[in-house]
Amino acid sequence: MLMTGDQYIESLRKLGTRVYMFGEKIDNWIDHPMIRPSINCVKMTYDLAHDPQYVDLMTAKSNLTGETVNRFGHLHQSTDDLRKKVKMQRLCGQKTASCFQRCVGMDAFNAVFSTTFEIDKKCGTKYHENFVEYLKYVQNNDLIVDGAMTDPKGDRGLAPHAQKDPDLFLHIKEKREDGIVVRGAKCHQTGSINSHEHLIMPTQAMGEDDKAYAVAFACPSDVEGLYMVYGRQSCDTRKMEPNADVDLGNKNFGGQEALVVFDDVFIPNDRIFLCEEHEFAGMLVERFAGYHRQSYGGCKVGVGDVIIGAAALAADYNGANKASHIKDKLIEMTHLNETLYCCGIACSAEGYPTEAGNYQIDLLLANVCKQNVTRFPYEIVRLAEDIAGGLMVTMPSSIDFNSDLEVGRNGETLAEVCNKFYAASDTCTTIERMRILRFLENICLGSSAVGYRTESMHGAGSPQAQRIMIARQGNINAKKELAKEIAGIK
Amino acid sequence: MICGVRFCGGCNPRYDRGKALEKIKEQNKDVDFRIAEEGETYDHLLVIGGCTNCCASHCQFSTREGLTKMWDEKHINEVLKKIDEIKSKEKAKQNIK
Repeated sequence: MLMTGDQYIESLRKLGTRVYMFGEKIDNWIDHPMIRPSINCVKMTYDLAHDPQYVDLMTAKSNLTGETVNRFGHLHQSTDDLRKKVKMQRLCGQKTASCFQRCVGMDAFNAVFSTTFEIDKKCGTKYHENFVEYLKYVQNNDLIVDGAMTDPKGDRGLAPHAQKDPDLFLHIKEKREDGIVVRGAKCHQTGSINSHEHLIMPTQAMGEDDKAYAVAFACPSDVEGLYMVYGRQSCDTRKMEPNADVDLGNKNFGGQEALVVFDDVFIPNDRIFLCEEHEFAGMLVERFAGYHRQSYGGCKVGVGDVIIGAAALAADYNGANKASHIKDKLIEMTHLNETLYCCGIACSAEGYPTEAGNYQIDLLLANVCKQNVTRFPYEIVRLAEDIAGGLMVTMPSSIDFNSDLEVGRNGETLAEVCNKFYAASDTCTTIERMRILRFLENICLGSSAVGYRTESMHGAGSPQAQRIMIARQGNINAKKELAKEIAGIK
Repeated sequence: MICGVRFCGGCNPRYDRGKALEKIKEQNKDVDFRIAEEGETYDHLLVIGGCTNCCASHCQFSTREGLTKMWDEKHINEVLKKIDEIKSKEKAKQNIK
């Protein structure tokens, strides 16, 4: 069953998710002005799945049930599916100019599906069967699942078991006949509050001493013992201002991250997908990270499309659109953005089937993709700021642009003064000019910069993590042989 | 005549695919255009892509008179011509009967 966006919102109201922010428990977090924009982003992934113009990307035929499911809940069955995943993410980025949060679940499904198959083959466990039943439940109910990997990690120089506080990596606290009790936390959890379920994975490769930390499982977001602390963003309280509109830049959409705490949470046996088989923790991490690094070749490109459009409009509104350097900067932004897309499509086109049957991306190309994503969005926003001009961060508030307060010698209002001095090209009103500049402010250094900049840097692993993978996959020895052959060295 | 319609997913369309369909509909008020669904058989299928890749899936749909793909606004005339051909064919069949 494909839920509509409105049904999704109503389904969240039925959850008892515990959320804390600014030192308080937030009971109605669904309608909270700081949280709602991020929920609207997830809602978009439901709404687009019902629109005939987007159905081909937004839905797929489940290999598990034969039913049409939202592609965010799909196991990739071909390289075509992998490409369509990237295209879907570009589309969702275009429609929200934000992180729409649903891809972590999709990437976790595909990584856990193939890894559990291989664990069962070696260890005789039943994790794959558990996971398949779980995913059918998710697909049939069109649920949002937060794929959660990143632990707090404490002292980065120490292994999980060597930390002073054992809770700095999520771990198995107790094993029972009917399940396990887990304790710890996951950081930076994108969309966790907006999710019906959580799918937990280990954060890194583990050794024998860390086997209590090698754990993967699923649980409802409102399970007993689980709660979340909302992560604040730059300029976030603008969303709390009365009649906030123009000053928000993107008033309807935004991203969300939270700290998710597992305060002795019981996980029944049929929701466990890894339990102490430490030698498979690295495989699961590598596969999830690979898919997630592919994802960035779609989602950030979609947001980039909106930024390029906004920069072009800013140039039009400023009357600078005919200047050759402006045209060249827009070309450069497009070149950078499409290069990211090329990487996302390339690692998908070079995908291959896993033993379990779903398709995996090409790891080298996916890591190259994400490495570029740690750089290019920064250059894209630098160019956007260059084109926009300093006004994007110095203009008065929208209240001033609408104020009746008389301030001029001849009784001119504050609104009249602002509109007089910030008028530019005849192609726009002053408010339209303000709107596009505020949008750029928001994405370049406001609350949306969390998603477009810092998430591009650290999401799916920081730059060094990709460089390690590029070194492993780079095939240097074969390249040496090529050079020897050409140079005549035996 | 019933014409199924399948859009690509629209990740970076070079023209307004929805408006293109509206233009085609305007010229063919006697044709029943329906968003294609599996299990139905259409006289013809119109696949509307947003770029040259035209990646919309369509093998799951069945048709009596094949399909036409378009991926550029300039293709509207070709689509109109194709629909006219099918309509003429149908008329001819009816006359024979």
